Amino acid sequence: MKSTVVQQNLSTEQNITIKEKSRIRQTLSILNKYKTLYFISIPGILYFLIFKYVPLMGSVIAFKDYNIFAGIWDSAWVGLKHFQTLFENPDSIRVLKNTLLLSFYDILIFPAPLILALLLNELRLVLYKRFIQTIVYMPHFLSWVIISGLFIGILSPTTGIVNKFIEWLGHESIYFMGSEDFIRPILVLTYLWQSVGWGTIIYLAALAGVNPELYEAAKVDGANRLQQILNVTLPAILPTFSILFLLHIGHFLDFGFERVYVFLNPLNQANGDILDTYIYEVGLRNAQYSFTTAIGLFKSVVGLVLLVLANFVSKRVSGNSLY
Amino acid sequence: MIEVKRLVKIFAVALFSLILLVGCQSEKTSEKADKTKETEEKSSEPLKFSISMRTLAFTHVENSPNINEDEYVKVLEKLTNTDLDIRLMPHNEYSTKMDLMFASGDIPDVVQTSAGYGEGSGQTLQQAVEAGVFLPLDDLIEKHGPNLKKYIPKAAWEKQRYKDGKIYSIPEFLSNPSRRATYIRKDLLDKAGLEVPKTVEDTLNVLRKFKEMGVAQPFGGRADFKYADTFFGAYDVFPYSSMWELDKDGKPVPKFFDSKNMEAALKTYKTMYDEGLLHKEFLTIDSKQYKNEAITGNIGMWSMNANELLQWEQQLKENVPEAEIAVVPSPVGPDGKGGYYLYGDVTRAYAINKETENPERIIKFFDWMLSEEAAKYFTFGIEGRDYSMENGKMNYKTPQSVDEVNIERYRTAFLWMVQDTTYIKGLLEMTPEGQELIEVYDTILAKEGRDGINFDPPLTALDTLPDLQLGSDTPPKLLMGHMAKMITGAEPISDWPKVVEEWKERGGNKILEEAADRYKKKEFTESRRK
Repeated sequence: MKSTVVQQNLSTEQNITIKEKSRIRQTLSILNKYKTLYFISIPGILYFLIFKYVPLMGSVIAFKDYNIFAGIWDSAWVGLKHFQTLFENPDSIRVLKNTLLLSFYDILIFPAPLILALLLNELRLVLYKRFIQTIVYMPHFLSWVIISGLFIGILSPTTGIVNKFIEWLGHESIYFMGSEDFIRPILVLTYLWQSVGWGTIIYLAALAGVNPELYEAAKVDGANRLQQILNVTLPAILPTFSILFLLHIGHFLDFGFERVYVFLNPLNQANGDILDTYIYEVGLRNAQYSFTTAIGLFKSVVGLVLLVLANFVSKRVSGNSLY
Repeated sequence: MIEVKRLVKIFAVALFSLILLVGCQSEKTSEKADKTKETEEKSSEPLKFSISMRTLAFTHVENSPNINEDEYVKVLEKLTNTDLDIRLMPHNEYSTKMDLMFASGDIPDVVQTSAGYGEGSGQTLQQAVEAGVFLPLDDLIEKHGPNLKKYIPKAAWEKQRYKDGKIYSIPEFLSNPSRRATYIRKDLLDKAGLEVPKTVEDTLNVLRKFKEMGVAQPFGGRADFKYADTFFGAYDVFPYSSMWELDKDGKPVPKFFDSKNMEAALKTYKTMYDEGLLHKEFLTIDSKQYKNEAITGNIGMWSMNANELLQWEQQLKENVPEAEIAVVPSPVGPDGKGGYYLYGDVTRAYAINKETENPERIIKFFDWMLSEEAAKYFTFGIEGRDYSMENGKMNYKTPQSVDEVNIERYRTAFLWMVQDTTYIKGLLEMTPEGQELIEVYDTILAKEGRDGINFDPPLTALDTLPDLQLGSDTPPKLLMGHMAKMITGAEPISDWPKVVEEWKERGGNKILEEAADRYKKKEFTESRRK
């Protein structure tokens, strides 16, 4: 009796190991078959692990009182203390409002490159078109520090050309940088100026792919220039537009620290402070690492909510979505 | 096409050989370093140590390709038998860079800090002391620092003492805490036929006259009122971190709470703004623009550190030959006093890393800084280059070009690590202008400046509220916004009490509590005129 049981046990164990072995062999053979593909994917996976996932662990300092000498693990846990400070802080509501508003304005100007691309596309003289293109690309290569210097000069009440014009019209000059009413338009318009030309590149490429026969056919049907744009060009370019738009939503709240910081001064910052500049002031200047990590996490949550919402709406309305 | 290909080839070869060359060179230098290490151990062994230093925005320091190869550093190393590895900290990003340095764990043997454990170095420095990064220095100084003990004033030492009662750094000190001064274009004043103004009203009249004479900016304005805060001084309402006073209940409050005087100061600025005595864009003028306007002769009256006088005057004269700058007593307010905020007793300090091998010799190095040999070297520089000896008499070449001025400044104010930074006596005594400046320090500046209570290390209640924080020489941003609106007329000045209330409600109350508590525990310092 005893021996048979043992034997039976043995045999089933053997069975299992054999099955397992064959499964392993199967996986191995698949691995072997596509080994180049797997090999190619290793750097990508490592990149995300090292630079995207490992740093995520650092977020635990939002729940601790981080001391750089004690290190992450030895700092004391404080629970939600920093989040509590964040929500009790009247500044954080103001800063969040500014961030959301600016992001919203950025969305309003999002179609600008499309419009510019359509206009450029209608230019028939190639040399002239190239010339205009080069000029509108140029601001993309300037750093924000330079752009801010440029615009602060242009908008200066004593020497700026804008105010010279306003004075010429018989009005009093306006101290644009010294008022919180103008900071948001300045931030949005400078961004428009800097990025609009560069943004046209993809649209122009998409436009180059439109079948010329479609235009011929439209012309035969008696369509004028505007009708051609509305009925041929726009439908052809729309899928590109909606994908780009969704990608933009993915970066909804990340529109750049530098772009805003270079324009801020105590007079306009009530309306100009965004989460990133606030994090810089508090975190790096005052060494409140835990608190700013809490803000960062909060920002990520807000961003996530917005992205999910936008994706949902887009799926319902246009059928296009990120996931 | 062939031409292009050949060019590409040539370029590639050139690049490759350059890389090889650089590689070999770095190997060579490292070999050299090894060798010096060997000889070090054998013979007189120069002490090798690293030190972090703030560039202080000095042109010569910031433009130097490698400060450790600088002629003056080399001579300093020879004189002190050391081998320095100076690590520069950019002036404007100092506190960020300090935090990064501590976070990375790569801490030099000597860390230069700003005054005490407070401002500029912030919380991180306190945490570093608590984590035992630095060496307590009391015994070492007792044994190896006779000059340090002799020359550094007691108040400066007290500032280096942490809560645990031990001293953690060697201070560079300031015997005259009044450092900023009021400058005026003496030539313009003489041309106007006016006396040196005494009160605020006199000053406004002089400025009005300057305006009539066509001076572009009768009074120099600068962003955040930095170095343009003359009239806040006259009314004793500096909104700065070291400017607290006791209210009538004996509780510490910031000086800007004094609405009556604050309104008077703001009214003065408003008058100046309305009459065009102050630049219309005074709120966005940065330090470079400010200096530029002054040395091109566009400003009639302004404020600057007194020790900059000779340098600015020299640069102004290159543009306006007949110009002449004088330091005058600052305009006084209703209490008959004026001036600027008083600096602390300490300008820079040096803490020693616990892991350094030879702290005794580092102490000796800093002790040497206060010796006569050091004073001679830093004041007059290198023989044959900066001065010559004739029959036992020293012949100092006074710097002429801007570069030479920059080098002198670097040698005397940056490289001379521990000294009385009030002024370089040796240099000033040589020229009549210099003697005049010493006069200015001893007669004008010694008498002016505003006393205040200072919390050092800083109060922490506002760490998460950057808009409400009092800077060392800038008002909180919240106040700055309101001040600007009041001066330009967008808000009535009589609303100041509301601004104070707003500051309190948005978080200021917390800091008042903390200040009261710290005051009770006697954890504060006071800046006082000497």
